[in-house]
Amino acid sequence: MSQPTQRQPTQRQTTSRLSIVSPAFEAVASHASEGSLVLVGINHTTAPIEVRERLAIPSTRLADATRTLAQQPGIREALILSTCNRVEFITIQDRNQDRVNGSATPDLLRFLHDYFAVPAASLEPHLYEFREREAVRHLFRVASSLDSMVVGEPQILGQVKESYSIARQAGAISSALEPLLQRAFAVAKRVRTETQIGSSSVSIASVAVDLARKIFGSLHAKTVLIVGAGKMSDLAARHLIQQGATSILVSNRTHERAAQMAAQIADQISTQLASDPAAIACTTEVIPFDQIYDQAARADIVLTSTGSPHPIFNRSHGQAFLERRRNRPMFFIDIAVPRDVDPRMDQVEGCFVYDIDDLQQVAAAHLANRGRESAAAEAIVTREVDLYLERLQSRDAVPAIVALQNSAESIRQSELERASARLAATGAALTPAQLSAVEALTRSLTAKLLHPQLTALRGTRPSDKE
Amino acid sequence: MTLLWLRLAVLLYGIAALAVLPAALYDRPRWRHIAVPATIAAALFHFVSLTETLNAAHHRLPIETHELQSLLALILALAFLLVYARYRSVSLGIFVLPIAFLLATLAAFRPGQETFSAPIRTGWIFLHIVFLLAAYAALFVSLLASLLYLIQERRLKRKSTGHGWLSPLDTPLETIDQIALKSLLFGLPCMTAGLLIGSVIAQQDYGAKYFTDPKILLTFGLWLAYIAMIFIRRASGLRGRRAVYLSSFVFLVVLFVWAANQFSAVHRFSIP
Repeated sequence: MSQPTQRQPTQRQTTSRLSIVSPAFEAVASHASEGSLVLVGINHTTAPIEVRERLAIPSTRLADATRTLAQQPGIREALILSTCNRVEFITIQDRNQDRVNGSATPDLLRFLHDYFAVPAASLEPHLYEFREREAVRHLFRVASSLDSMVVGEPQILGQVKESYSIARQAGAISSALEPLLQRAFAVAKRVRTETQIGSSSVSIASVAVDLARKIFGSLHAKTVLIVGAGKMSDLAARHLIQQGATSILVSNRTHERAAQMAAQIADQISTQLASDPAAIACTTEVIPFDQIYDQAARADIVLTSTGSPHPIFNRSHGQAFLERRRNRPMFFIDIAVPRDVDPRMDQVEGCFVYDIDDLQQVAAAHLANRGRESAAAEAIVTREVDLYLERLQSRDAVPAIVALQNSAESIRQSELERASARLAATGAALTPAQLSAVEALTRSLTAKLLHPQLTALRGTRPSDKE
Repeated sequence: MTLLWLRLAVLLYGIAALAVLPAALYDRPRWRHIAVPATIAAALFHFVSLTETLNAAHHRLPIETHELQSLLALILALAFLLVYARYRSVSLGIFVLPIAFLLATLAAFRPGQETFSAPIRTGWIFLHIVFLLAAYAALFVSLLASLLYLIQERRLKRKSTGHGWLSPLDTPLETIDQIALKSLLFGLPCMTAGLLIGSVIAQQDYGAKYFTDPKILLTFGLWLAYIAMIFIRRASGLRGRRAVYLSSFVFLVVLFVWAANQFSAVHRFSIP
């Protein structure tokens, strides 16, 4: 019978390869009919970027890599998850491949060595390995974004789904990984629905967008003025465009730099429109720096990141803008240090000023909230791992259960026939009513005698059931 | 039986009024799945109760004070549902649902003895009552939306972090502003139609002397204030604190107009 085991550390880094095996689980071998589930990988906690980038596989090569992995000796099914923070190889291996030199990964290591031309010895210190129950648990945690650098970030589920889709098309997924991955998607969805782990933004750019939405609702048809052509403002502008902003004004002390940034944004919009016809068209315009006070009132959102030592916008500017806008609110996102917007502008009714510290505080609070929610999410994952393994074990036990029942029934019938024949020989043959009663009695006895064995095979106790 | 339906509606309004608090103030959106269905159910029971009350009283018009309170509560609940359907915002419920609950409670547990003093002609007068109550409800909704605007503005300026109490409301500032303005724009034709219908009926029944009554003059003053408020809001884009002051002033006039029902010689509620 499979009992829920104590929660194990989900990842450990050692100088040698690590195998985390749940003995209770291994005894019943949930993937016995298909093979052994083994997950090997590196992530942001076990390997620096120099190592991760050597194993990273671009999406264009993922199908080929997955196919090659699945063709390795002893590997029946395979999936590769490659993101900027992790590369993981999820495989179903022949059980006779287990335990070579105390580890389950010889074929995987050979594959890594052959495919990436990376010496196995240089990878081993960074690799983690999970088997069976812990591999299931790890996959559920990854899909639910509990193992991400930014817990709760939504991209990882899409990346797992994309890897699954590629592996499926490559013919590398079959009866063992298919239900496991489907369950992982369902668990991730449940975690998102039942906890608030992904409900708030944790990056500066997305916090700024969230705040803009709290002020304006939809950003559709909103105008954004970018003052200063820095990398952060470019990133924030991209977020705002994705959310529907339809007019981007760019201004910089160096006019050419502003023109360059406007062109880059225009290119990005064109690409977005080409890939997604439903995307909203957006215009860009360069504003000469000496005209920003005349033009700023056109903007609903002002994003500033100049290197100016003094504030560019002060309180009186805010009042003038609001007057020209007939009190329609304005949102100033000031990510410059020193600040470009005088904080006293926030006292103007209708002007909302958030500097980099304000944004970071909101992001940090959201992150802390995600940390609190992750405890609830971990509980869901633990429960789901137990349920999944119980179902798997129950499914694997079906042939044995049928065989046991058939055997018992065969013994019962032969013993009944023998006893009936003896009675008939002594002239005391059973009447139909007596025969029927004995039939019922033997059936009931057989069922009761078999019950503990069948329950053990199914791997469930009545109290375990939902 | 009619009181039973109304008391059931009161109970549901109470549940909705409580459920809307975590949904709107504590960033717990799942509570809206209780608040909104409870309000819908309450409005249905309320409508059944009101209809049965009027039938039982053998008049088709809400002429008693508790009937008017009940109708106003129903209109406010419907206004909340309308705003939710249009803007997916439950923030307005923070104020509207407790007030609907209180008005319905008054009607359910303290049925009034006062009735309208003048002889009532059914038909057009029904529209007069419904239009004016809708206008009052719209003005009230607008005032509440202006207050919500102020709360949301303060919360955004406080730059509070994280979830829960003091985090920004689920309704964006511009949406709240739209609710405030559109409520007024909805209320003006209602008030105009209500006053016109009432004036025509009064002219036919009482003649010109009806219009010299202070209560009636105050009502027309309210209509002018209503127009002035819409004009100022549209012309200057008035928002925030000053919008609350303006709405509060006009709402105060509404309260005077309502209170004047007690003193008017021609348009009053009294114990028969």
